[in-house]
Amino acid sequence: MEAAVQAPRKSFIREWVMTVDHKKIGIMYGVTSLFFFLLAGLFALLVRTDLLVPSGLFSPQTYNEFFTMHATIMIFAVIIPLLTGAFGNYLVPLMIGARDMAFPRMNALSYWLYLASGVVLLFSMFFGMPDAGWTSYPPYSIQSQGPGIDLWVTAIHIAGLSSILGAINFVVTIHKMRAPGMTYNRMPLFVWSILVTAYMQIFGTPALAGAVTTLLADRHFGTVFYDATAGGDPMLYQHLFWFYSHPAVYIMILPGFGIISELLPVFSRKPIFGYHAIAYSSVAIGFLGFFVWAHHMFVAGMSMSAGIPFMISSLIIAVPTSVKIFNWLATMWRGAVDYTVPMMYASLGFIGSFIIGGFSGVIVAEVPLDMHLHDTYFIVAHIHYVLFGGSVMTIMAGLHYWFPKVTGRMFNTKLGHISFWFYFIGTQVTFFPMHLVGLAGMPRRYQSYLPEFQFWNDVSTIGSYILGVGTLIIIFNLFYSAKYGKKVGNNPWGARTLEWTISSPPPEHNFTELPVVTENPYQPYSPQEVEEVATA
Amino acid sequence: MVDAASWLPTELTPMSHSLDVLFDVALGVVTFFFVLVEVLLVTFLIRYRRTKTNQTGVNVHGNNRLEVIWTLIPAAILVCMGVYCVKVVYALQTPPAKPEVIKVTGHMWFWEFQYPNGLTTKNDLRVPAGENVLFEIHSADVIHGFYIPAVRIQQDALPGRQTEFWMNADTDKVGQVFDVPCDQFCGSGHPIMDAKMTVMSPADYEHWEQTQLQKQKQNSGQ
Repeated sequence: MEAAVQAPRKSFIREWVMTVDHKKIGIMYGVTSLFFFLLAGLFALLVRTDLLVPSGLFSPQTYNEFFTMHATIMIFAVIIPLLTGAFGNYLVPLMIGARDMAFPRMNALSYWLYLASGVVLLFSMFFGMPDAGWTSYPPYSIQSQGPGIDLWVTAIHIAGLSSILGAINFVVTIHKMRAPGMTYNRMPLFVWSILVTAYMQIFGTPALAGAVTTLLADRHFGTVFYDATAGGDPMLYQHLFWFYSHPAVYIMILPGFGIISELLPVFSRKPIFGYHAIAYSSVAIGFLGFFVWAHHMFVAGMSMSAGIPFMISSLIIAVPTSVKIFNWLATMWRGAVDYTVPMMYASLGFIGSFIIGGFSGVIVAEVPLDMHLHDTYFIVAHIHYVLFGGSVMTIMAGLHYWFPKVTGRMFNTKLGHISFWFYFIGTQVTFFPMHLVGLAGMPRRYQSYLPEFQFWNDVSTIGSYILGVGTLIIIFNLFYSAKYGKKVGNNPWGARTLEWTISSPPPEHNFTELPVVTENPYQPYSPQEVEEVATA
Repeated sequence: MVDAASWLPTELTPMSHSLDVLFDVALGVVTFFFVLVEVLLVTFLIRYRRTKTNQTGVNVHGNNRLEVIWTLIPAAILVCMGVYCVKVVYALQTPPAKPEVIKVTGHMWFWEFQYPNGLTTKNDLRVPAGENVLFEIHSADVIHGFYIPAVRIQQDALPGRQTEFWMNADTDKVGQVFDVPCDQFCGSGHPIMDAKMTVMSPADYEHWEQTQLQKQKQNSGQ
């Protein structure tokens, strides 16, 4: 990434390591999590490669470590830090017209904690990797040998602390540091989504900390929280774990929803349709997100009818999500849609894929159907359509969209389109067949499988290679263009949020004069403006 | 080359049939909305693409009536699906009269079955067709998942807690063998923890249970 334009030039240590500037911290979050994205992707490709043949290519233990590392890194070191740490940090102060986050030093601390947690996970590759899945259910995780689970617990603790500090910073910044005139109902929708996400992190993360702390105590300090023979109960862990980890699913998608809500109006040259509906549905999702956790546990030992309230809440949460989908579609209706790379990721890439995950979610939310589909590949298909077809697509949309703001340069458009098609096709080829083997009854987390499942597993594996190539193209394009891309003006897309009113990259304290806001950023486009964008 | 399995497996019980009907209904509903959204998405992308003559979108900020419609219609459909599901849940949960109780215990990494006469088997599950069978599920070590895809039901096997479900195999499935995989992650033997379930006629089942028990007693007596 290119350094800021100000003179005099600072040393690398002063410029990056000691920085408390939200933009630099955001960039560091971004670069670090893209590194972890490559690593987690590599683990995913190893998992898929194992499954090329029914007997599996690696040993079961190795395979278990690979899928555990893949999921743990993707969730805690890629998607959450990219969406909140990178996009949130870089954009929130710019979008609300602030000069920085409320607590810049704490902001730097959350980055360094995040990095430390990632390093602990890296360490486990040399000292023994965790092998109990990203959920790490006891009693298996208590019996698991070696330091893998302990390192995993340590990484989760540090990442959780980083997450909470970051979330407190967002909440205070958004409530207290908005520019004059930036009322809540004029805030960009991305800021709304980060606000809700931050509250979810603050309320949810302590439950996860409780779950993994008790796990560690059971492993080493002789406690019996999860030892059934001594009166403990393994289900307690699952309740604690999912009380965080289901909201975490929304933590991983709400900021992405925010990104989509910023992009669609800009590339359709039309005001967002239903600003309030989109903003308030985020709040509804954030609230309801805390009442659905036990839908992960329909077959875990609850009586079937005890699942009914969680089935109802899980069905209800589909409503605010579908409200968003319809509003996004209506934003494109009678717009002037420009097929830019970020728009392709946002429209076909995100909406086109994410809804499949949404709809399979409605199916597995139903207690009777979950009796069959739980812990099969159908669930694996569902989570990947939500997290890859959903979150990762929004991340790619956002990376390409704000790239010219962060670097002052444009990525290579042709490569960008090629990478999009690799991603779009790769996503469907990899994840759609998982529905089919899941319906047929193939359980998840299987290093080997029955021969009748081979065909669709091989299709999935080919798809994953397509995604791997796509990822390399994206990373190359972004890093190469950051240095050698064509220089562009301050507002190449003709966007309305405040970050586009200042230079690219923005100056150190963002605004020399605080902007005064008189309306929300989603206003109609006049012909003169269109002219200005075209000549800029 | 074995045929590629890519849809629901055989329906073994009347209950698995009614679960598949529910699945088809749910799939029909979501497919309708899936097609609707994809068609609108692609249509809008093509119909309203930016051209020389279409440089800006119209000035519309929203429409409250539409918001109400696309909130209430999905909500109403989901309520109907929820009510339908609740009925099925109670049918699934209500234990049948006078069932044949088979005790299931998960071990790392095999399934142990104990029949009413005391017979125990390893990875060999036999059920009488046309009779109610109740599984009482436990674990001897870590959490396992007792799953019969042909029955469309699973319950986790936990240490220190009993879970259960029941089934009633169709009589026309006598002689067929079904997979009983473990589907809750339990370590390196997880994928090979696969029992086989054979459906027998009640008379054959009775006979098998008795003779196996005799054999077991003779073996342990030696």
